[in-house]
Amino acid sequence: MVQPIMGEKGEKRRMISVRDLKKVYDSFTALQSVDLEIEDGEFIAILGPSGCGKTTLLKLMAGFMKPTSGEVIIDDALVASPRQLTPPEERNIGMVFQSFALWPHMTVREHVMFPLLHHRFTAKDLKKNMRERVETVLELVGLKQLAGRYPAELSGGQKQRVALARAVAALPRLLLMDEPLSALDVELRMEMRREIQRIHRKTQSTIVYVTHDQSEALAMADRIVVMNEGRIEQVGTPEAVYTKPETEFVAAFVGKCQLMKGTWEEGVFIPEKLPLERWKDHGVSVKLKKKGFYPVRPEQWRLAPGGERGEGGIVTLVQYQGKEIHYTIQVENEEWEVHDSVYSPRFYVGDEVSLSLRSFAETREAALV
Amino acid sequence: MLSNGQLAGEEMKKSPSFSLFLSRKKLYALVGLLFIFILFVWPILRLIWLSFVQEGTLTLGHYREVLQEQATWTTVGNTIVIVLGSTALSLGLGVTLAWMMAYMNIRGKRWMQLLIFLPFIIPSYITTLAWIQLFSHNGPVAGLLNWLPGSLAVPNLYSMGGIIFILGLSHYPLVYLFTVDVFRKIPRELVEAAKTSGATKGQVLRRIVLPMALPGIASGGLLAFLTNLDNFGIPAFLGIPANIRVLSTYIYEQVAGFGPSAFSRAAVLSVMLGIIALAGTFIQWRLLKRSRVTETTARDTEPRIYITGMRRRVIESGVWAFLLITSLVPFICMGALSFVKAYGLPFELENLSLKNYEYVFLTDPKTGTAWWNSISLAFLTTVICLIAGTAIAYVRYTRPGSVTKLMELFITMPYALPGTVFALCMILAWMQPIPGWNPGIYGSVWILFIAYVTRFFILQVRGSYAAFLQVDPSIEEAARVSGAKGWTKWRRILLPLILPGLIGGALLVFLMVLTELTVSSLLWSAGSETIGVVIFNYQQAGYTIYSTAFASIIVCGILIGGLLFTWFNQLWERKVRKEE
Repeated sequence: MVQPIMGEKGEKRRMISVRDLKKVYDSFTALQSVDLEIEDGEFIAILGPSGCGKTTLLKLMAGFMKPTSGEVIIDDALVASPRQLTPPEERNIGMVFQSFALWPHMTVREHVMFPLLHHRFTAKDLKKNMRERVETVLELVGLKQLAGRYPAELSGGQKQRVALARAVAALPRLLLMDEPLSALDVELRMEMRREIQRIHRKTQSTIVYVTHDQSEALAMADRIVVMNEGRIEQVGTPEAVYTKPETEFVAAFVGKCQLMKGTWEEGVFIPEKLPLERWKDHGVSVKLKKKGFYPVRPEQWRLAPGGERGEGGIVTLVQYQGKEIHYTIQVENEEWEVHDSVYSPRFYVGDEVSLSLRSFAETREAALV
Repeated sequence: MLSNGQLAGEEMKKSPSFSLFLSRKKLYALVGLLFIFILFVWPILRLIWLSFVQEGTLTLGHYREVLQEQATWTTVGNTIVIVLGSTALSLGLGVTLAWMMAYMNIRGKRWMQLLIFLPFIIPSYITTLAWIQLFSHNGPVAGLLNWLPGSLAVPNLYSMGGIIFILGLSHYPLVYLFTVDVFRKIPRELVEAAKTSGATKGQVLRRIVLPMALPGIASGGLLAFLTNLDNFGIPAFLGIPANIRVLSTYIYEQVAGFGPSAFSRAAVLSVMLGIIALAGTFIQWRLLKRSRVTETTARDTEPRIYITGMRRRVIESGVWAFLLITSLVPFICMGALSFVKAYGLPFELENLSLKNYEYVFLTDPKTGTAWWNSISLAFLTTVICLIAGTAIAYVRYTRPGSVTKLMELFITMPYALPGTVFALCMILAWMQPIPGWNPGIYGSVWILFIAYVTRFFILQVRGSYAAFLQVDPSIEEAARVSGAKGWTKWRRILLPLILPGLIGGALLVFLMVLTELTVSSLLWSAGSETIGVVIFNYQQAGYTIYSTAFASIIVCGILIGGLLFTWFNQLWERKVRKEE
């Protein structure tokens, strides 16, 4: 079941099929039965907490190891199964590593030149005009002035640009990225996100991007694969994953939702704690409905002074964030997260408040503020 | 062409019968491990076996015989006193110097460090020779004591005290090496936290610094203990003339004496030496069991104790005086005396000549043979170790696990054994590799070659492995993703990054083989003399001035080699790795 790709027209060819893939290390199961289809030219983000198996999945796609069972098919050719493995050097791929993995004894130019010289899939015209290609790639990542430098003479952001340039130089069909921005500081991360998106648009290659940072995945990907404990929890567009989580894990990890318990009756939700309320269905998944859950994201709550209609609680923490305010509210024995606009009435630590659900229209409005 | 499905089917059909017993990969691992076991461990087991066998039957007869002799117990007593004394001296010097170099703001640390390492790269028998010259009856120390008021006698180096002194001085660099980085890795904040909690300087040292440095101190101490136990050159040069025996020289005398049951008696003594070594290891293990090692943090080379003015000058000159007197003066003295025409003449211009050098290099044919033997053996051993050792290190690096760990343990054993014991193992294993078949390896130069490779192989494996560990796995993965395979990957990426480490390991192997004495002294035969053996024989025969001339050349050679390597390393770092 492949969902349509946002903002793309026409038929897309399938590029990668991962079938029933499983990987066991000694006694630890890193990946249990994963199925995934990736279209040509798609930007896929694999999102999950550390230890969820996302890096294992990426390494299997790259060909660094054999799966315990299942298979990987790229461009209709079987490249990995328990019996057979096409090693990474014989695959048409590029990769960006978390630790940059630059070669300390080579200049920036030599890094970009390396795959052009050695990659067996390098197109003939690129090989013929190698110098030109190197200059083009260096310009693409903005390193033209630093071509003669060695890695030790570069800053963190520049190193990551070199790693990117090396990965895309030979125009691989598939670009794998293993948490490429996690070693950079916040400012640089924002800049590099735009850089990676621009490169994706220019090169048109398929990108599989592994990250534990949900905002990275939401910002860049065409589709997000959310993983947990070696399993895929949900595959979908960023908006679908964020607003319509299918499982409890996705609701909590991506949307930071509060899962309200209650009962579903004729498409309306009756929260256990507020039996007089009737909450409308904005596309809650069948799975969550069955379990009697209604996911509420922090920005969906409306705060009002205590005593008004809604769930009562006490403000325990206030964090001013500039454009919004993050409140932590103690409701009985639980702590709920609430994000409110700076233009709404303010509350302070110790205030009694009551929480109620914003209407769908209101949330949209709040998002626009 | 077979399709994938057919291929998979073929495999499926074949695999059950095969995997019933072993998969192919496991088979390779097993064959490799067995091969290493036969080369490195089997000789040791044969030695132990020999100590229990008499005329084909199991017996404790050899033990009974050896243990009943008074000489055995005197030797064991000597060994314990000498080893404990010299280890204490090494620990005291090594830890104090390491602490000062790690924490104090003394100037010229680079040069001090070089002087500390000097006794480490010069073979101990040459160091002994140099000290003997310094303390000889017409040497500089005697002159100084004569000039001073009072009738002070020159200390006699041919004594227990002398052996302890030279052993301790020769092996404190081991302790230094193990502790200095441990001191530097203790986070500065831990000391500051103790100080803000009200601890005095003494309390900080006793309660924080020393307990945290214990793993390093214990490892360095154990290594010094084992090296002192294993040392042959120093007790052979100083102890044999004075009738003071330790186990290593006693074993040598047994084997060299060729009695009817010489090998069996030597095997019993070797087992006893092994038991003492195990006891030392056990003490270290007990010490480390109680200490908890924190996660290693970054090395902090900034000084932590700032001294100024007079105090700083006094401490600096104290360190310099100690290092110069212990590391340089004896060798200068030996070099000077090697020009004196005849032993006993005073050091005056009219008595100086190049006669000794002429004799050593032109007149005596044995030295020429020894040069040729040692250099070609060192070269051959280094090449074999470099290639095979690096291959094994690569396997250990790419496939960490219990099998490769066991492999490393096997390879370490010949190096961990005392040299005399190891030489005995080699004789037993290669005299008749298969019982009843003597290919004549023992008695030729080839026994030396096999013994050197077996003994020093681990040095190259460790050196290459350390070089590989410096390379993050993603560096190699990045090369593969970029399409580099096989030879291209090695030539363009791996070799340039590991070369200094490989050369360092190879140079160490070369140096060790070139100046080796202990193993050679038991394995040489007419025509296969080595440098160490010739110097030892000169000394034993009383031709001290010839041995000093020979040894002076060796020391110069080592110094030049060391400087060349340092220069090459710096050039490489700057030109190739471009490190800042």
